[in-house]
Formats: sequence, C-alpha cells, structure tokens
Amino acid sequence: MGQKIIARTLSEAIEALAKYDCNIVAGGSDIMLQKRNTAGELPRFEKDVLFIANIEELHKEYVDEEGLHIGATMTLEEILRHELTPNVLKDCLKELASVNIRHFATLPGNIANASPAGDTIVVDILLDAKLKLTSIRGVRYVSAEDFVQGVRKIDLAKDELIEEIIFPKYDFDKLIWFKVGSRKAESISKLAFAAAYKLDGEKIASIRLAFGSVFMKAIRSHELEKELEGMSLKELGSRVEEFTEKYGKVISPIDDQRSTKSYRLEVTKNIVRDFLTTLAKGGN
Amino acid sequence: MLPFKSKYPTSTPKVDQGIKVRGEAKYTDDIVMPGMLFAKTVRSSIAHGEILSIQKPKLPEGYYWVDHKDIKGENVVNIIFSDWPVFAEKKVNFIGEPIALIVGPNKGELDRLVNEVKIEYKEETPVFDFTESYIHKAFTKGDIASAKKKAVKVIEEEFSTGYQEQAYLEPQGLLVYYDEEHRVTCVGSVQCPWYVHRAVVRACAIPTEKVRVIQPAVGGAFGGKEHYPSLLAAQLATAMLKINKPIKMCFERPEDITFTTKRHPSKSKYIAYVDKDNNILGMDVQVKLNGGAYKGCSGVVLSRALIACVNVYNIPALNVAGDVYMTNTVPTAAFRGFGSPQTIFASEMFIHHVAKDLGVDPLELRMKYLVKEGDITTNSGKFHDPIILPALIEKAMEMSDYKRKIKEYSKPGCNKGIGMSFFLHGCGFTGSGESDIIKGKVKLIKDEKDIVHVYASSVDMGQGNKTTLKRIVAKNLDIPNEQVVFDNPDTSIIPDSGPTAASRTIIIVGFLMEKAAKNLKKIWKSGVRQEHIEPYVGPSYIKWDEETMQGDAYPSYAWGVNVVEVEFDPITYQIETKGVWSTYDVGRVVDERIAVGQADGGIVQGLGYGYMETMRCEKGRFRQRSLSDYIVPTAEDIPHMETAFIDNPFIYGADGAKGMGELTLVGGAPAIALAIENAIGKKVNDIPCNPEYIMELMKNGKN
Repeated sequence: MGQKIIARTLSEAIEALAKYDCNIVAGGSDIMLQKRNTAGELPRFEKDVLFIANIEELHKEYVDEEGLHIGATMTLEEILRHELTPNVLKDCLKELASVNIRHFATLPGNIANASPAGDTIVVDILLDAKLKLTSIRGVRYVSAEDFVQGVRKIDLAKDELIEEIIFPKYDFDKLIWFKVGSRKAESISKLAFAAAYKLDGEKIASIRLAFGSVFMKAIRSHELEKELEGMSLKELGSRVEEFTEKYGKVISPIDDQRSTKSYRLEVTKNIVRDFLTTLAKGGN
Repeated sequence: MLPFKSKYPTSTPKVDQGIKVRGEAKYTDDIVMPGMLFAKTVRSSIAHGEILSIQKPKLPEGYYWVDHKDIKGENVVNIIFSDWPVFAEKKVNFIGEPIALIVGPNKGELDRLVNEVKIEYKEETPVFDFTESYIHKAFTKGDIASAKKKAVKVIEEEFSTGYQEQAYLEPQGLLVYYDEEHRVTCVGSVQCPWYVHRAVVRACAIPTEKVRVIQPAVGGAFGGKEHYPSLLAAQLATAMLKINKPIKMCFERPEDITFTTKRHPSKSKYIAYVDKDNNILGMDVQVKLNGGAYKGCSGVVLSRALIACVNVYNIPALNVAGDVYMTNTVPTAAFRGFGSPQTIFASEMFIHHVAKDLGVDPLELRMKYLVKEGDITTNSGKFHDPIILPALIEKAMEMSDYKRKIKEYSKPGCNKGIGMSFFLHGCGFTGSGESDIIKGKVKLIKDEKDIVHVYASSVDMGQGNKTTLKRIVAKNLDIPNEQVVFDNPDTSIIPDSGPTAASRTIIIVGFLMEKAAKNLKKIWKSGVRQEHIEPYVGPSYIKWDEETMQGDAYPSYAWGVNVVEVEFDPITYQIETKGVWSTYDVGRVVDERIAVGQADGGIVQGLGYGYMETMRCEKGRFRQRSLSDYIVPTAEDIPHMETAFIDNPFIYGADGAKGMGELTLVGGAPAIALAIENAIGKKVNDIPCNPEYIMELMKNGKN
C-alpha cells in the first residue's frame, strides 16, 4: 500500500488527486471488499488512498434553484433521514444493504462502483441526476446516465472527485421504486425498477422508466419514453403488451449467483405490464 | 435497568448469554499463543485427476510446507467410513481437495505463497450426475408383490432437494499446540471432541493419552462441525508435529462455504399402489443422494433418509431402496436432520399429490394412515411408546385456523396459501447404537465445597445444553443451579458421553445426568469430595439389524406439526411468509425458553431450506460463495411464530424429555412447499421452491 491521505477540505483532496494516483475512499463499503486481505491483515491497496469522509464542506444536503444537492460525504443513512430527500430515493435506500452499511456508504460511492446491481444508480438516472466532478483543473458536470459506461467503467479522470450529486427539479404525479431481492432485508437486487410520470388530463405528459440489474448498467429507454409521451391513456391501454415486449428488448439480463436470465426478463416484463396497465387506468 | 421479565416462567437465564452478549466469550480465533503460526490450505483446482508435479514456491525463512509425506499415521480422516485423505497424495477428486498446508507467521504472506503454488495435473473426466452408486441399501415391509398385483391405480412422482449450507455464524477453525504435559492439544470449533481426538490419534499414530481436545465457545454448527473438524485437526496436528509450534487455521466465510461439507442433494421416486376404494396398498420408494467425492458418513445419512421415507404414515407394504452417488464435488455430510429432511419433504408432498390425483381430501387420507402406538414401523419394528400426533394436529389446526383457511385459500386467484406438515424424528443414534456402539458415560464430581462439576462431552454450540444439562443436575440433586459448574469439554478430564449430534444430548446425556445426579444424591456427604460415573443403559427392548435395516430404528421418536401461511406475488413469483404455527411432542420440555429457541431456529432453517436457500454446483464449483449470495432468511422474512408443546414423557429421557434439535427443522420445508402449492395451485416437487422455480411452475407446472 502506498501513502494514506486524510483530506479535511475539498482543496486538500483535489490537490492530492492532482499529485498522486489514488483510490478515493468515503465509506469504503465496496472498495474495502474489493481490496480485502485475509482477516487481521491490512487491505491490499496498490495505489495511494485518499480518505474523504472527514471533508465537512461536502457533508451537506441542500436545495437551490438548480435542484437538490447531496454532498459526497453524506452517508446513505443520513440521506434517508434527511427531510429534503425525495421519497423515491428514500424508498430505495430503505431496502439497500444493511443499516451498518448505510451508515458508511455514500451515493457517489455507489455510482462510482458501477455495479450493474447498484440500486441508487437506478434512482439517479430516473431523476436525471448530474454529477459535479471537481479537480484542480476546474469543474465539469456529467449526467449519471453517461457517467456509468459499463460494468465498473466510469467517466472519471484520475484527478477528479465527485463533489456532489445534483437532482434537478422535477414535476411528476407519481414516482415508484420497486426492488426484487432474494429476501426482505440485506439483499442485493435480482432486479430493480423505478418509474415516474405526469398526466395531463387523459394523456401522458411525461414518463420515465428505469431498470437495474438487468443490463450491464442501470438503463432507461429515451426512445420508448418519447413514444409514450403524449399518448392517451386509452391508447396506452390497448398497447400495453406491445410496450411490455419493447421494454423486454431494452434490457439484457444474465444468469448469475443471484438469479437467472429468464426470471429477470420475465419479471421485469411483468412489472412493466403491471405498471402500464395501472397507468392506463389512470394510475395509482 | 428494568428487571428482565421472562415470558417463560419455567426457564432459567442461559448461562453463557452474558459473556456472549458482552463479546467476552472466547472463540477459537480469539485465542492467541506466543510464537503461534498460521496455516493455509493448498487445494486442488480441478475436479478429478492425477497430480503429476507440484512446483512449490520458494518459502521464506520460518515458512513450512506440510503434505501427505509428513503424516506419521494413516492418511485418512477418521469418520464412520474413512475414505477421505488428510492430504491428497496422487489423485484429486474434487475442486478444493486439500493437497498441502503452508504454515508461517503472516497470513497475508501465506495467501501469496499458496497462490504461487503450481500444480500440474493429468485431468480425468469428472462425474457430476447420479451415475456411480457407491453405497446401496434396501429393505421391504409387508407383501409389496401382492400390493402391486391388487392395485388398480399406480401413481408415480419424482422429487428433488438441493444443497443446504449450515451457515453457522462462526466458520470452521482449529488451533493445535503442545500443552504443558506435551500432549497434542486441539482447541477448536467442534461438535464432537472425541471424534477429533480419535482422528488425531489415527492420523498421527500417537497414544490416546497424548492427545487432548478442548472446546472453546462454539458459534453454531448444525452438523457442519461433526466431521469436518477431524480433517482440520489431522492436518494441523501433522503440521505441529513437524514444526513444533502452535498453529492455527481459521477459515473465512468464502473458504468455508466453498470447501466444507453440506447437506446431501437428493432425487427420489415414489410410487403408490392404490386399490379401487382409494386405499394405499403399498409404496415403492427410491432415494438417491449426492455424496460428493468421499463416503464419510453418507451411509448413515442414507439410512436415516430411508427410515424416514414414509414419515408418520403406516403404509402396509413397502419396497425401499436408496443409493449414495459418488460425484467429483465437495463431500456432503452431517446437517441437522441427517437425511430425513429430504425424504420427509418428498413423502409429505407425495401423499398430498396422491390425494389430489385420487380426488380425496388430503387431510383425510393422511389421517387414515397416521401411525399409532403398537403399529409396525417402516422398518418392521414397533412403535413402543404412546403417540399423541392427533392431539398435536388438532392443536396446530386450532392455533392456525387451518380448516377455514385451507378452504378459503383453495379458491383460485386469492394468492394465499396454507400448508401443514406432520413429521417425526428418531432421537439418538440408530437402533441400539447408544447402548452397543456409543456407550456414553458422564461423570459428576462434587468438591469439598459441595460444588458439583459436570463432566460430559456435550458441546454447547448455541443450542443451550450448558443451561439445560446443568439444570437437570441441579434439579435432581435438589440444589440451586449456581451450585453446579459445567465447563467446556476437555478430553483430558471428561469421559466420552458421545458426540453432540443426532438429537441425543437431552434424551441420552440428559438422562445420564439425571441418573448420575440421583445416584450422587444417595451417597451425598457434605464437605467431602465425591465422584460418580454413570454409564448409559438404554431400553433393552430396542433391537435393530443395521445390515437388513430391520427392527427398531430408534430408541424413541419426537413428533411435530408445522403450519405455514404464505402470500404469493403473481408479478414477481415471490413468497411472503405470513404465519408459522408449530406443535411438538418432545416428551417433556426441560427449559421452555431454550426449547422455543430450538423451535424457532429449527423451523427458520427448515423454511429457508424449503423456499429460499439456493446453492448450485456447476462443474464441481459452487456458484454461491458468500452469505450475500447464499441467502438465508432474516428476521424480516419470518413473521411471529407460535409454538406449543404437549407433554408425552419418555421413560428413558431426562424427566421424560426426548430430543428436539433436528425435529424442529424437518417439517419446515414441506409445510411451506404445501402452502406455496395451495397459493399457486400447482404441484411443488422440488426445493428450494424459489421464485425462479415458481415461475417455471406457473408456466409448465401440473395442477
């Protein structure tokens, strides 16, 4: 293991990132497993370690005209208990990992880990979240959807830090989180689904559907959402099966130690069918 | 602090609860000795083949290589059938088979060295299917030929059950060193100190008195620590004799899940011969178990599976056969229930399916064949003791409102279901094994201060026998619990009261404690050191022939009924457990809270086996290698459980008590599978009945 840097300010952190090749650790609930050594021995970090959990200026959640900002060192449990947190994210966090993990883990950690089964990423992309990436070179913004490029692949330069996640303001009638795990607590998703819509009388004004654990990354179909937008509920009612099949083609699940390809495909379709059927009847 | 009010007025506080809650209990991995080294296993990376060459890494100073060449005695692990080598010599028969140990002071360095070992193999075709039987057993009851001849209907079905991982909290671990008297001393997470003792004697060829086994706190076992620690002890003792320093090896979860023994997967075929009046004249039962690469205790697991193959039903004629199959996979071995969870699941499902096919009420059909006192058993022995199963059933139905619910939930589309299993479990070793083979003994020593010390080899691995056995002694001596001391077993001072297995601790060791205490009371002299040894004398009417599997299979049986209610989600095919009700005849309860603890834990493990716990082995490698992938139920998954005990004292048990450790597991899987069947309207023939399987049933299952 190289050197350990405990940053207390954002500028300390980005300066360290500019100088050294670091693994960034906030809660460590994922990376400590990846780097774990035999019990009682220090973890196997090949790179330097930048520990950011003590950066007080990132430990905040606030709203401005842009939307809701969640700082990089807010733990999931703090976010879950925060009054500004949207319910759809709370619903997701309630079922995520264990209480212990939630007291360490962070939103940037979950997205930077870029696991296909990362639950909060599904909510991030549902809400069009943006990531604020900061380095000594400056600041850039990238959407959550583009940030994750594939399994464990992210758009983050070596000297960049995810400073915060921004959830732009939105206007929906209803937001839904639905996770299928192997049990009711402490389970990793077999598949996850999130959705949001707004109705304009008998028409769909806007709609989003996001899926987790059924593709190499959390996924939405902007094409299908466009097709659905503006559609009357009556028409939707007659085309539920068609869209269920179309969504079935958006995803591409696999067999693994938690479930099977056919189960993930079938159940995702069941959920979409049920969601669209309910929506066609006016929602709820 | 508020005074703790027990829900169970007949209970005493668990003696080790304080040190466990405070984290003071010392488990194997907590023990550190000066100069202690660690060991790590070099394992086979192929399922079947010959070792051509081994390229060892360059070992730094203070690191050692230990393999079969270092074994002073026999290169076998002393199990019932001793075919498992301590270290593989030429052949390897499963992925993960131990070939050598690397021993040294730093665990990280050991990991690195083990990864650098290069082994060249000549690979052979591995066997993964049920094709090579290496143990066969069979017996008949009544006149099966005439049953077949008279039958007008023949109903045939197949069932399967999966692997189950013990998932004890504390993984396997053992420490070996020379004690002050230069004895090879093993301290480890074990169920059966004397099994470990014998394994070390045999592998190391050292005299019995030069081996000592001490049990520290044990964090769960469930059968998983009945035989496997014997392998670790033989390996580590061999290493210690070579290196002369204390050596510890504690597995972490992935190594434990991937390479230690589990429950036997099974496939079985049941055929019922039925006459025109819907009487079951006889049954053919064939049971196949996957034994993995070595036999070990699989023969006995098969015996117990076959003995339980028609569960609580008196079927007049039977033709029963079973095989254990060799496969190039991790050997399967003891697990709470020991063969009977597989066949009790199959037989409970089968009798329901037969009733459905005949168009008769399943409950009526089952009640018609329920065994009664004096009936002939499956193995042509006799049910000697009173059977109160009808009372257990009635009570369970009343507690759960079963009759109303089964009627209501059988309507299509309600997505609710209720299932009820009946079951029995033989207590103690098979047949007259307790009197003829185990010959358990316990010892009580009263010191000059009138403190009574209990000496027995029964291990408290969480189930609570430190509390219950102590209580039995105190009660029979008519002294307070505090006047009795029951330390963890140490083979240098305790007699062999047998293994902590086979639901025998209370019915056999407890019975011995009761007699010992009564006898000590007779000679009690205050202020004087006194000692009493009590040998086991079992019921003389129990006769059993292991070869033909004929006679009385067990000294006694415990009985139970589980009712489980579920709700089914037709979108996700998930099952939610809504209610669990149980009634048991365990003779008489020694300590109610501990009995409820066994009941709650047992059924949760049984439910997990039935609908959740999924472990797949692909080409000799387990797919699930952590507790985040091998899923066991959490408290969130299990609703409130209600349990009732009905007394039915057994004359050869402590104050009438029989066994209950395994009983509480065996009914869980059929109860939830029947509830699921009721909810989804499809026949369930396989467990785990997980959402992936239910999805298949909804598409292609039979009604």
